[in-house]
Amino acid sequence: MNTKPFSSGLRENAVMITRVADRQWHALDDDLVVGRGYAEHRSDGRLFVGIDAWHDATFDRLAEAMLAELPVPLYTVVDEADVELTAGWRRAGFTVRRREWEYVVPTDPRVTGLEAVLPPSGVTIVPAGQADESLLRAVDRTIRDEVEATAGWWQSMPAEVIPFPEGDTIVDPSKYAVAAAPDRYLGLIRVVTAIRPRIGLVAVRAGEQRRGIARALLAHALGTLHRSGFAEAWTEVHESNQAASTLLEGICARPMSSNLELVR
Amino acid sequence: MTRNKNVIEVEGRVVECLRSAMFTVQLENGHQVLAHISGKIRKNYIKIMLEDRVLVELPPYDLTRGRIVFRYRN
Repeated sequence: MNTKPFSSGLRENAVMITRVADRQWHALDDDLVVGRGYAEHRSDGRLFVGIDAWHDATFDRLAEAMLAELPVPLYTVVDEADVELTAGWRRAGFTVRRREWEYVVPTDPRVTGLEAVLPPSGVTIVPAGQADESLLRAVDRTIRDEVEATAGWWQSMPAEVIPFPEGDTIVDPSKYAVAAAPDRYLGLIRVVTAIRPRIGLVAVRAGEQRRGIARALLAHALGTLHRSGFAEAWTEVHESNQAASTLLEGICARPMSSNLELVR
Repeated sequence: MTRNKNVIEVEGRVVECLRSAMFTVQLENGHQVLAHISGKIRKNYIKIMLEDRVLVELPPYDLTRGRIVFRYRN
């Protein structure tokens, strides 16, 4: 255990920064927890940190203690509208690595204009839960390799769309609908509905883009959600992904907020 | 209301989504607090929206503020 006293400015007593577990820190004022910090590896191997503190001084001291003991690079995610938190991480030496827009996507075909959208000739949409698993894994792997060879995952894809070290990125095949040619799959869309539907991924093979396949996948997925009683879905788009933003805004999706991924 | 590990936690309902990633939460005792979301909720991309039932942690010094640490499924 590692403890460091400092004056919080809140009380006369000193606030203690204590490492309570391998990657957890507490700020204690007497016996009260007035701040917490943690670090966690995400599945892509990157180390993400977080701090919840009621006062800037506590935040700064937690950050100081944590950063002194953790390896770099370190990452964190903030809502860009959360000015105080963003400022805290900037004080700790973090800089903006990427920005993602969060879109709310309507599902009603009369709003999206996707009512009459069909896949291009020779392409069929296979609903979620009915895709052939080996073909699904093949198209997923191919598309990820294509992206890796061009822009790279870290630079262009939403923070949650990440390559798994083991190489297999299909966690639950039943969440994917696909665009199928007779001999292979051309594109895929993943929608996960926990409480609110989230479109986690829309992707089409490089040689098959600009044929309306992504739009057809969206028409299918959103139509299915609409029939299930969901009025909206949401998704994230990297700020540089103009094609995705254009596609979403073309179906009346609205950018609602933005997340920043910060790095130090 | 629960008090675990010297932390005061109260259930509530989001009644207003504000700018600056803040929310007004009505607690089960009727009081309202101005709450932001915890780092873990943010990191896991959990969306907090109007009418969500949430668990709010209150600071020991100021019971008008809060931090949303959990969103219930319904």
